[in-house]
Amino acid sequence: MAANPTFQTPEIVVADEELHRKLEHMWSDPPGIHGWLGTTDHKKIGKRYLFTAFVFLIVGGLEALGMRLQLAQPNEHLLSPGLYNQFFSMHGFTMIFLYALPILSGFSNYLWPLILGTRDMAFPRLNAFTYWVFLLAGIFLYIGFWNGKGTDVGWFNYVPLAERAYNPDWNVDVYSLGMIFLGISTTAGAVNFIATMFRTRAPGMSISRVPIMIWGTLVSNIGILFAVPAVSLDFLMLWLDRRFGTQFFNPSAGGRPLLWQHLFWIFGHPWVYAIVLPAMSIVSQGLPVYCRRPLVAHSAVVLATILTMVLGFGVWVHHMFATGLPVIALGFFAAASFVIVIPSAVSVFAWVATIWTGRPVFTTAFKFFAAEIVLFVIGGVSGFMTAAVPLDWQLTDTYFVVAHLHYVLIGINVFPVIGGIYHWFPKMTGRMMNERLGWWNFWLMFIGFNLGFFPMHISGLEGMPRRIYTYPANLGWGDLNLVTTIGSFVFALGVLLFVINVVRSRIKGAPAPANPWDASTLEWATTSPPPSHNFTVIPQVASLDPLWEERLEGSRQSLLEEGPVLDHEHEIPGTTVLDAEPDVILKMPHATLAPISLALLIAGTFVGLLMSMWWVAAGCLLAMIPALLWWFWPSPELGFAERVRP
Amino acid sequence: MTAYEERTLPRALPIGPAGWRTPGWWGVLALIGTEAAVFAYLLFSYFYLQSQTTEAWPPSGLPPLRWSAPSTVAMLVSTATVWWADRGMRLGSLARLHSGLIVTVLLGICYIILQCFDWRGEPFLANSGAYGSLFYAITAFHVLHAAAGVLILLAALGWSAMGYITPRRNSVVTVVAMYWYFVVVAWIAVFISLYLLPWISTH
Repeated sequence: MAANPTFQTPEIVVADEELHRKLEHMWSDPPGIHGWLGTTDHKKIGKRYLFTAFVFLIVGGLEALGMRLQLAQPNEHLLSPGLYNQFFSMHGFTMIFLYALPILSGFSNYLWPLILGTRDMAFPRLNAFTYWVFLLAGIFLYIGFWNGKGTDVGWFNYVPLAERAYNPDWNVDVYSLGMIFLGISTTAGAVNFIATMFRTRAPGMSISRVPIMIWGTLVSNIGILFAVPAVSLDFLMLWLDRRFGTQFFNPSAGGRPLLWQHLFWIFGHPWVYAIVLPAMSIVSQGLPVYCRRPLVAHSAVVLATILTMVLGFGVWVHHMFATGLPVIALGFFAAASFVIVIPSAVSVFAWVATIWTGRPVFTTAFKFFAAEIVLFVIGGVSGFMTAAVPLDWQLTDTYFVVAHLHYVLIGINVFPVIGGIYHWFPKMTGRMMNERLGWWNFWLMFIGFNLGFFPMHISGLEGMPRRIYTYPANLGWGDLNLVTTIGSFVFALGVLLFVINVVRSRIKGAPAPANPWDASTLEWATTSPPPSHNFTVIPQVASLDPLWEERLEGSRQSLLEEGPVLDHEHEIPGTTVLDAEPDVILKMPHATLAPISLALLIAGTFVGLLMSMWWVAAGCLLAMIPALLWWFWPSPELGFAERVRP
Repeated sequence: MTAYEERTLPRALPIGPAGWRTPGWWGVLALIGTEAAVFAYLLFSYFYLQSQTTEAWPPSGLPPLRWSAPSTVAMLVSTATVWWADRGMRLGSLARLHSGLIVTVLLGICYIILQCFDWRGEPFLANSGAYGSLFYAITAFHVLHAAAGVLILLAALGWSAMGYITPRRNSVVTVVAMYWYFVVVAWIAVFISLYLLPWISTH
C-alpha cells in the first residue's frame, strides 16, 4: 500500500506522440457494452444528445406536416378533431422540451470542454445521467400516444380542462409525470454546466477571455435552475389534484385556476430565453469566423445576454393579458416586455456590424447564421407588437401568435442549430459537409420557412384562431392556408436534404483538417475528431482568440503545445472563478454503470406512479439509496483514502 | 519572461476532494439554488391563494405551535452542531467531526418526528381545501429535504469512520454541511410563513 498523495506539482512538458498515446489509452472507454452504456466521455454524450434531439425534431415535424395537410383546404377530414388535438399538443411539447433544449445541450456537451481547454465536464457521471434521463423521459412522454391517448390539451395544459373531471384518461397524467421526470435531466444538466464554467476552465482563461458560446449556455442554464422548479411544481400539483383529490386549482375549495397559468408562465417565458440564448451564442461564436474578424462588442453582447435572462423572469404575464388581471399588472408587464427588446437589439446590431466590417465568406454555415438575424428581427418585431396590451387582445389565440413563436423558435433555434452542425461537423467527425448540397439545403429551408410561416401573420390578422382542426370555406382563409402548407413541405424537403448531407458526408465527406475554417477558439486547436483526452497538454490561455493572436496582437501568447501534462489517472486542473488560476487538481471518474442504473430506477418510479403501482414506485425509490451510495462512494482513485494499492 | 511565470505554474496543488475547491461545492450550491426556488414557488402559491381568498385564512384557525416551535429550536441548534463538526474536522479532530455529525442527525430525526406529531394534530386533510393541500405540500416537501439531509449526514459519518474523509480530504463534509444549512434556512422561511405570520396578524 502506497500513500495517496494530497499534493502534486504538475509537470510542464512539450506534447509528443508517446504522451498522446498514453493519454488516449488512459481516457478511452473500456470495450464492449460496459463502455457503451457507462461512458462518461462528453463528446459521445454530446453526439447522443444531438442525434436523439434531432429524431424528436423529425417526429415533431411529421406531426406538424399532418396538421398542415389537414388545414390545407377548408372542411378537410384527414385528422379527426380528437387526433388533431393530440397532434398539436404533442408537436408543441416535443419541439419545445424534447428538441429545442436537448439539441443545444448536445452542442454544449460536445463543445464546452474543448472550448474551455479541458478534458471533460465538471461532473462526467452526471452528464451521462442527464442524457439517460432525457432519453427515458422522452420515451415516457410518448407512451400515451401509442395507444391513441396522447395528451390533447395543448403543451401549456391549462386547468380546469386538464383536471380529472374534464379529462379522465391517463394522457394528462403521462404528461404531468413526464414533465417532472424530464425536469430532473434539465436541472442536473444546468448544475453541470454551471460548475464546469466556474471551476474547470483552462489556466489563464480569465472571465474576460471566456468565449461567447460559453456565456450564452451558462446564462441559459442559470435561468433554467430557477425556472424549471416552477413548472415541475405546477405539474406535481396538477397530478396530486388528479390522483389524490387535492384542491390546488379547484375554485370551489379555495384553489385558483390562474395559479396554474402563473406558475406555468413564470417558467415558460424564461424557458424561451433558455432555448434561444445558447442558439444566439452559436451565431455569435460562428458568424465572426466567416466574417474573418472577432465579434464586434463582445463585452456588450455578454452583458446583453445576462440582462435578457434577468428581464426574462419579469415578463411572464404577457402570456396572460387576456385573463382579466388588474390594469396595473398589465401595464407593468407590457413595459417590461418592451424593455427586453433593448438587450436583444444589442446582439442584432453586433452581428450586423460584424458582417459589415468583416470580409464575409459565404459558406452554408454563414448563410444559416445570417438568416437567423433576419428571422430574429421579424420574430422580434411581431413579439414587440403583441407586447402592446390592446393589440394583444386582438391577436391573442390567433395565427399571428403562431407565426410569431415559429419565427422566434425556428428562426433563432433551428437555423443556428443547422448552421452550427455545418460549422462543427468537421470537428465532430473529421469530415467536411458537402457545400453544394448545403446550398440547396439552405435555400429550400429559408424559402420554405418564410413561405410557410409569413402568411400565418395575415391569416391571424384576418381572425383565424389557433388550435382549430378545420374552418368553413366562406371565411376566405383557404388560399393562405394552402400557401402555408406548400411552404411547410418545402421546408421539410430542406430538412431532408440536411439529413442526406449529414449521412453522406459522414460516410464519404472530404477529410477535415484540425482547423478547416481558420477559427480562433480552442476546440480548433486539437485534431478533428479530437482524441478521447481532448488535449495532450492542458492549454494556457492568454486572450479571447488564442488561435488568432499572431494576427491580432503580433505574436502568440497562449501556450498550446507546452503545458501541464496531468497524466496520473484522469486528471484536470481546477481553476479559480475570475482569474482561472489553477488551485487544485481534480480527479475525474471512469466509465460507470451507476448513472444509467439511477436513471432506470427513476423511470421505474415514474412508471409505478403512473400505473398506481405504489410498491413499484416505493421499491425503486428505496433502491436509489444504494445506487446513490455506489455512485458517490469515495474511491481512492478519486483522491479519497489515505493509502492506495501501488 | 514566459507565460508560465505569469501564471505561477508549476507549483504544488492540492489533489481531489479539498474543501470548497471541489466542483461538488458549486454543484451543491446550484442544487440549493434550484431547491430554494421550489420553496419560493410553493410559498408564492400559498400567498397567492391567501390574497385571492374571501374566507378566513387559515380556514381552520391558527396553526398550533405546540410541535412546530420545539422542532424549530431543534433545527436552529443543529446548525451550530454541524458547524462545530465541520470546523472540528478542519482543525484535525475526527472525534469532534463524528460527535457533531451524530448530534446533528439526532436533531434532524427529532425535527421529523415532531413534524409528524404536528400533522396528526391538524384538523384538516390535504384534500379538504386549497389551504390544506398547500400546508401539507409545503411541510411534506420540507420533511423530505430533512430526511435526505439526515441520510447524507449518515453517509458522511460512515465514510469518515471508514477513513475516506480526513482533514485534507474534507470536501464531503463541507458540502454536506452547506446542504444542511440550507435545510434549516428553508424551514425558517416555512415556519415564518405558515405558522408565525397568521399568529402575528391576529395578535
